[in-house]
Amino acid sequence: MTWRPTALNLSLLTVVGWALFLSVLTGRVELAVVAVPPVVALVAGRRTAPPPAWRIDRELSTRRLLEDDCVTVTVTLRAEGPLPLVELLEPLPPKVRLAGGRHHAFFTVGRTREIRWTYELRGAGRQHLRLEGLHLRVWGPLGLAAAETRHRAPAAVAVYPRHAPIRHLPRPRRTQTFVGNYVSPAQGEGIEPGDIRPFAPGDQVRHVNWRATLKLGTLHVTQHHRERNADVVLLLDTLSEVGREGDTVVDVAARGAAALAAAYLARKDRVGLIEYGGQPRWVRPGAGRAHLERLLDSLLSASVVFTYVDRDLDLVPPRILPPQALVVALSPLLDRRFVRAATDLAARGFDLIVIAVSPVPAARAAARRSAVADVAARLWTLERRAELDEYRRRGLTIVEWDGVGPLDGALAGLGARWRRRALAG
Amino acid sequence: MMLRLAAVVLLLVLTALPLSVGPASPPVAWLAWAALAVGGVGVVAWSVPLVTAAGVLTLIAYALALVIAGPAANPVAAIALGATVVLLLALVHFAGRARGAALGPSVIAVQVRGWLAVAGLGAAAAAGLLAAAGPLGVALRGATLPVVVGLAALGVLMTVAGLVAWLMGPGRAGPGS
Repeated sequence: MTWRPTALNLSLLTVVGWALFLSVLTGRVELAVVAVPPVVALVAGRRTAPPPAWRIDRELSTRRLLEDDCVTVTVTLRAEGPLPLVELLEPLPPKVRLAGGRHHAFFTVGRTREIRWTYELRGAGRQHLRLEGLHLRVWGPLGLAAAETRHRAPAAVAVYPRHAPIRHLPRPRRTQTFVGNYVSPAQGEGIEPGDIRPFAPGDQVRHVNWRATLKLGTLHVTQHHRERNADVVLLLDTLSEVGREGDTVVDVAARGAAALAAAYLARKDRVGLIEYGGQPRWVRPGAGRAHLERLLDSLLSASVVFTYVDRDLDLVPPRILPPQALVVALSPLLDRRFVRAATDLAARGFDLIVIAVSPVPAARAAARRSAVADVAARLWTLERRAELDEYRRRGLTIVEWDGVGPLDGALAGLGARWRRRALAG
Repeated sequence: MMLRLAAVVLLLVLTALPLSVGPASPPVAWLAWAALAVGGVGVVAWSVPLVTAAGVLTLIAYALALVIAGPAANPVAAIALGATVVLLLALVHFAGRARGAALGPSVIAVQVRGWLAVAGLGAAAAAGLLAAAGPLGVALRGATLPVVVGLAALGVLMTVAGLVAWLMGPGRAGPGS
């Protein structure tokens, strides 16, 4: 760190120059006297010896948080000598807001030689929040000299999409081989009673149905349905987006996907994710808490990537998109390629539900309020309703979600028809 | 708020000094008002260039007042003017930098102590120079006016050039802010 003169030197020099010039011009000694305090200030403000050594430690209260939650940043500055004035600045990334305190501060490091500074940041929207490092500036007397440097200590915080609990989860039609929460049509070890049949060698005594045995005169046993889990694949449309940064339809769909993933994983299902966009990415179906974090991490970087290359879902390997899986697609249905892919999946016999995230509220929030915009939004809503009806006629199961209300409410409208179909399946 | 109040008080003192030299003539009053207006905008916006301009306008008003009124030499007012300019510029510069920032405990107190120390040192240096100038004035009493003016102009040039060269010495290539 080297001292550099600041712009204030130029101001004082200007005053000195004018005072001496006017003194010579008028022949008055007072004007020369006026120049003396600024000259003394210029001399006193000059610094040559380097500032004392210092050390900065920065701690974050958490490395993972949900949208609109806060992380507390604590900065500790230790110096080997007194510093009359230290300026610290933490530049904030674009999608980060200050929730408490200030990210720019001035301190005096005195005899204790240590200062602590805390402030709170709020992650506005899903993101990998990256704090690059602090700017530190040491000021000389009167602010006439300053020595500055950058303390490079990158720190990252994952800001996951906020997800509300879902009670009305669409029930998968087909189950898998692992133990789960769904009553499978297949008979075997389980809790849910099924058919009654005559006793056969190898049957356990605890399965004997004594009431049926007494009525029929021979030993009968109760069979049970197996409780199995299911594979659920979340298909996220990142082909198009509408809305303000941080509240686009992709952001809304990511929130929905996070909520669905958390809810299905809580039911012991295996959940996978396919990001269908310019650069298709996927996460293999898996279960457990660690897998939820893997899915949320993947959702953090879901974004629209423009490309001329048209990719199809045929590229996705079967282990990522198992044939027995329930596919829940989250899309604004603005891009024909996604509609084509969804129709194709349904035609191939996949158990498919499309959650149609309405782009109208997102676009409305981004546009300026006007009567014309209101009319345009109403027309768009009507046009969209007609389009969704057309897709339904093609055999797609579509749930409309405005992205503003809870997803649970939208899924509750899926109705008994889907549940009956799932149970029958 | 306190910093702004202190800056307004310093600005009022600064612009009132030319008017205290003698009976206020219209040009001096106009220049003082102009300095007050420019300095006021500078204080509101925490702008060092505007406050510097106000300081220079005050200096011109002060010189004009001295020429018009022609009073006996009053070094106290001159020292006060110089010290006030230094304090006002330092305060506005600091307040501009610290706008919107958190200020740790004792930052303001330490700064004010530093500013007052430098201003006091400047006042003491000015008084010392005035005391030393007495014998020099006696020595130059017989010299012709062009020689004195020439020497003074040379002194001014060398002072300013020397200060610039000294401040912008090797390894100090430009303002830091």
